[in-house]
Amino acid sequence: MIMSIKKWAIIFSLLAILTNISALFMVFFYTPTELQMGEVQKIFYYHVPCAITSYLMLFVSFVFSIAFLVKKDEKYDIWAYAGAEVGLVFIICVLVSGPIWGKSAWGKWWVWEPRLTTFLIIFLIYFSYALIRIFGRQDAKTPKIASVLSIIGFLDVPFVNRAVYWWGSVVHPKSVSLEPQMKLTLFVALISVIILSLSLLFWRVFIDERFLDND
Amino acid sequence: MNFIKVVILVFMKDIKDELRRKENILSSLFFALLSLVLFHFSVDMTSIDLSKEGAGLMWLIIIFAGTIFIQNIFRKEEENGVFLALLLAPVDRAAIYLAKFLVCFVFLAILEVFLFVLSFFFFGAAVFDSPLQLTVVALAVNIGFSALGTLISSLLMNQKGSSILYPLLLYPLLFPLFAAAATLTQLSIKSSLAFSDPWLRLIILFDMIFLGTSSMLFESVVED
Repeated sequence: MIMSIKKWAIIFSLLAILTNISALFMVFFYTPTELQMGEVQKIFYYHVPCAITSYLMLFVSFVFSIAFLVKKDEKYDIWAYAGAEVGLVFIICVLVSGPIWGKSAWGKWWVWEPRLTTFLIIFLIYFSYALIRIFGRQDAKTPKIASVLSIIGFLDVPFVNRAVYWWGSVVHPKSVSLEPQMKLTLFVALISVIILSLSLLFWRVFIDERFLDND
Repeated sequence: MNFIKVVILVFMKDIKDELRRKENILSSLFFALLSLVLFHFSVDMTSIDLSKEGAGLMWLIIIFAGTIFIQNIFRKEEENGVFLALLLAPVDRAAIYLAKFLVCFVFLAILEVFLFVLSFFFFGAAVFDSPLQLTVVALAVNIGFSALGTLISSLLMNQKGSSILYPLLLYPLLFPLFAAAATLTQLSIKSSLAFSDPWLRLIILFDMIFLGTSSMLFESVVED
């Protein structure tokens, strides 16, 4: 089992290197420079995929948390933890890349803009998940607490999203018209980031399962 | 035993216990009063308009004071293995959760009445201009707050550092509820709250989903 996870981790890592090199090449040499924002717009090709990938990873954590509570198998908890942790990494990527873009586009590092604010709240929810994992590292009850948090945290995301949208003004454009090269680059970047997240997920599970088997 | 009968029995036991001990209720209500006075020295509360930013301040106090009460809702069962005895009883665990949820719900209603009366008394806040609308908002918020608060409290039972962890886990989850509560209170003070308001629908959906999910998850939380 561990070997097959390691095998998948290596396969996804190699794929992640290949696809990310291709995506970066396309971002810098293939896509045209956006007229209004200039070079800084190129953050978009990684900012948006990071946002989508973080949701995907939080969904992985949600599903495995339910599986853990139902089946009581520690292996499901490892997947749930890994999903939340990788998801948190990508949320941080969104929260770092967003303000860099924002500084150029809106002249301020932070604007209480709905999508960015949504990610800030989701970051707070999943950071509290990480805290309970850190605080309760030695506690047998921690996986259960974390699973419940992952489930209610994920169910809370649509509410956070709606509340933030109704609360604040919309600065992000509702729909973006992209040149064909831009669309293709965004698609390749999305695939590359998803593959990268899967490689991180498999490595994270591999490390934890090795510890579990040693115990 | 009948599900509703169990809910009523556990609910009555807790209410009697809270009224006898008083420490939990009194400390929460005192904290609300203290916050109101402290807020007055940071922002002039007499100039705070509840139809604007004042609503948010009011809900902030309710959430902080409510936390003191709700995070201790399982504290008395932690002592002397009372909770284990409760779990050994051949009753539906969801009934125990619902009873605890109801105790928190009732306490929050008391806290809100206390705070609204005080803010009217001290600052002349316009809380009684549209009592029906404000009551609907408060009750809708209480359901969501009590549902999540009770679940997190049960999660952290016998947990080291639970008093630190409790607000850290609960507050991020309460964000949609808090935003909705502040907005709906502003609208109800202006008497312009429609019962079809999207914020009210959001809050009702929040209540339904989290009350349902929490009562289901409670069983997994307490078994072992």
